[in-house]
Amino acid sequence: MRKYLLKRIFYLFLTLFIVATVTFFLMKLMPGTPLQNEAKLTASEKASILAQYGLDKPVWLQYFIYIGGIFKGSLGLSFQFSDQAVSYLIGSRMGPSMQLGGQALLVGVVLGIILGAIGAIRKDTWADRLATILSILGIAVPSFVLAILLQYYLGLKVQLFPVAGWSGFTYTILPTLALAASPLAETARFIRTDMVDVLSSDYIELAKAKGLSKFGIVYHHALRNSLIPMVTLIGPLAAALMTGSMVVENIFSVPGIGEQFVKSILVNDYPTIMGVTIFYSALLCLLLLLTDIVYGIIDPRIRLSGNGD
Amino acid sequence: MNLKTAAKVTVVAGASLLFLAACGSNKSGSTGSTKQVATIAQKSELPTMDISKSTDVTSSTALNNTNEGLYRIGKDSAITPGIAKATKITNGGKTYTFTLRKNAKWSNGDKVTAHDFVYGWQRTVNPKTASQYAYLYSGIKNADAIVNGKKAVSTLGIKAEGNYKLVVTLDHPISYFKKLMGFVNFFPQNEKTVKKYGSKYGTTSTAMVYNGPYKMSGWTGTNLTWKLTKNKDYWDAKNVKMQTINFQVVKDNSTGLNLFNSNKLDDAILSGTQVKSYKTNKNFVLRKVASTFYVEYNRKASNSTVAKAFKNAKIREAMSLAINRKQFVNDVLADGSTVSKGYVSSDLAKSPINGKDFADDAYVKNSVTYDMTKAKKLYKEGLKEIGAKSLNIKLLSDDTDGAKKTTEYIQGQWQKLGNLKVTNQNVPFKTRLQRSQNGNFDTVISAWSADFTDPISFLSLFTSDNSYNNGRYNSSTFDNYIKAAEGKDANDTKARWTDMVNAEKTLMKDTGVAPIYQQTEAHLVRTNLKGIIYNTAGVQYNYKYMYVK
Repeated sequence: MRKYLLKRIFYLFLTLFIVATVTFFLMKLMPGTPLQNEAKLTASEKASILAQYGLDKPVWLQYFIYIGGIFKGSLGLSFQFSDQAVSYLIGSRMGPSMQLGGQALLVGVVLGIILGAIGAIRKDTWADRLATILSILGIAVPSFVLAILLQYYLGLKVQLFPVAGWSGFTYTILPTLALAASPLAETARFIRTDMVDVLSSDYIELAKAKGLSKFGIVYHHALRNSLIPMVTLIGPLAAALMTGSMVVENIFSVPGIGEQFVKSILVNDYPTIMGVTIFYSALLCLLLLLTDIVYGIIDPRIRLSGNGD
Repeated sequence: MNLKTAAKVTVVAGASLLFLAACGSNKSGSTGSTKQVATIAQKSELPTMDISKSTDVTSSTALNNTNEGLYRIGKDSAITPGIAKATKITNGGKTYTFTLRKNAKWSNGDKVTAHDFVYGWQRTVNPKTASQYAYLYSGIKNADAIVNGKKAVSTLGIKAEGNYKLVVTLDHPISYFKKLMGFVNFFPQNEKTVKKYGSKYGTTSTAMVYNGPYKMSGWTGTNLTWKLTKNKDYWDAKNVKMQTINFQVVKDNSTGLNLFNSNKLDDAILSGTQVKSYKTNKNFVLRKVASTFYVEYNRKASNSTVAKAFKNAKIREAMSLAINRKQFVNDVLADGSTVSKGYVSSDLAKSPINGKDFADDAYVKNSVTYDMTKAKKLYKEGLKEIGAKSLNIKLLSDDTDGAKKTTEYIQGQWQKLGNLKVTNQNVPFKTRLQRSQNGNFDTVISAWSADFTDPISFLSLFTSDNSYNNGRYNSSTFDNYIKAAEGKDANDTKARWTDMVNAEKTLMKDTGVAPIYQQTEAHLVRTNLKGIIYNTAGVQYNYKYMYVK
């Protein structure tokens, strides 16, 4: 296990290094400069400002300076937020995105499991069909459409929740719901399919024959077995949700990281692009590693070893 | 219930939801109380509060209302008193002596002195600061040399004589110098605060000091809300009525509308598509922006036939006449933009002679009108003059939705001239900029917005040696008018105005460029929110006299 972990962590850093390198050179291929006032500056003014930021140096040298900075623990200063440290920018913008992502994941997965289980137990009844329709809607309706509808009806018309903004828990409810729809649907579909399989297997028949209660069978035997493959699903889902949704964040005026990342690319804010890319990659790698470890713990058939066998 | 019934129920439910959405009324309520509080939407995050580094509307709005320079820009760009109490202009307009008021204070308790101006200005032109607006200092003694690193910062033409007397020396008279003094990059800076916070200066509302009508709080450097509260130590605090102005960044305009309708916003920004349905709303306000979109013809295009064609005045005029600007603005863009009357935007500056708006004063008849018959005739004659049978040109522009609509429309109109094939090239903004500046285009749709409310901010672009004159418009008549306005007539406001009017008329008669439209920004502003001072360029928003009725 220890050997395995060390190996995985080594690969994690290798991956991050490759991601950083590729991103750096791709980013430098983009036209333009990070100057906000570019349209109004003459060539010599531009050159002198860029020199102040070291952007006049050859790209390979800039690369080594940047990588060197990372080893010293600095992600540099943002251009669009003049002089703001990128680490501070990511730190303060990541919080809301992670909170929304976490809440959406929790709501989506829990409700999804319940919905999926109901569908499987009451297979081919109206309850099953309702659950199926809900999960199809959840996948078919994009989160931003849902966001706009939620904002308009629950925010403006019924005035149940704030329309937009970020100053307390009530402000997180609508964006959480908008983001939760898709994980809810995916989980529900997944659990239903898997449980229908499990419920028709021999050991369930045996449990029934033993006279166990229906709840006991479903909870102890069927659901638990179905949850194991769910772990594979949750890893990527968590990564997707926690890295922030640009559209939902914009609609609810949430100070999240999703939109910042897109904007940093549009305005050539090199240090922010790099910082956020590295951070996203690290988050994804960690979640995948965690998924594998959890898999090994809950499913005794899977053994983690450093030898690849 | 079988599957069919379930599906039907879902369809009906879904349809009624949509129906409800369509019928939803957009009542706008009123705040109902006279508490002096308002919330204003901002399009984007506040990137900085550093006076030397501000380049955008959000930061200049925040800085202009929390800080103050020698003057404050008032209604219709009038120069109103700021930190300067009296001004003496000597030496043929090359020396300005400002006497500062003694009751101006910083929020840290310090007095605002002449040294703060010297320090702030020197900091902005210092190449190490990398200010992107340092070029506005051009004309102040040694500024250009300092910005280019050729002279020491201390040689800048600004000197403090005692604590309350400031002497500024210019290389040559600058007719709009007083207006510049109301621009945020010329505001004073408190050395103690800048040194105290070092690289963190201006990155949060606490790492900053204020001397204006309001103080800022609640800005963490990256969040989407901040607050201005009345500054009791401001020298003119008795004339400031607002207690609190909240700012909320709203990036999605339908969110802005919902916030406005639920009374969470008092000034919301509308998008182009919302303009049509809110035009008649009592809260609707259309704010013109000093920004003109125009076609540039490249007289040095790589294709020699094209270059020759664009040197021909008839062809340039024909292509301008072929554009039905009214139809384009009303039916294609439909976002509240207005047809340009000329290259210099409307509502920018008023004549010192007769009070007329510059765009009206310099209007050249038929220069921005639509006349396809005449256009076709001129085009035919033009082709004959250059000895060509047909033209094949490229039209360069941005890749945004608006830009694509624009190029498609213009392409269609131009091709109606006959024997003219137009290929559209929609590229990202930065690429368009690069290609324009390198002269790598046939025709390009450019946009220019004025830095300050003086026509020269537009006109200086098209002197034959200007680096933004992408199409290489070259007219000695035009050059001479600009030279006179910037030189011999710089101290004579009326003569200078006439020079600028003549320059604009020359440019338009030559069809040096073909102006198309002027940008506007549509807002919903609560009708009881009064006293907002808005200008089309420079520091656009002055909330000093704002109040809730």
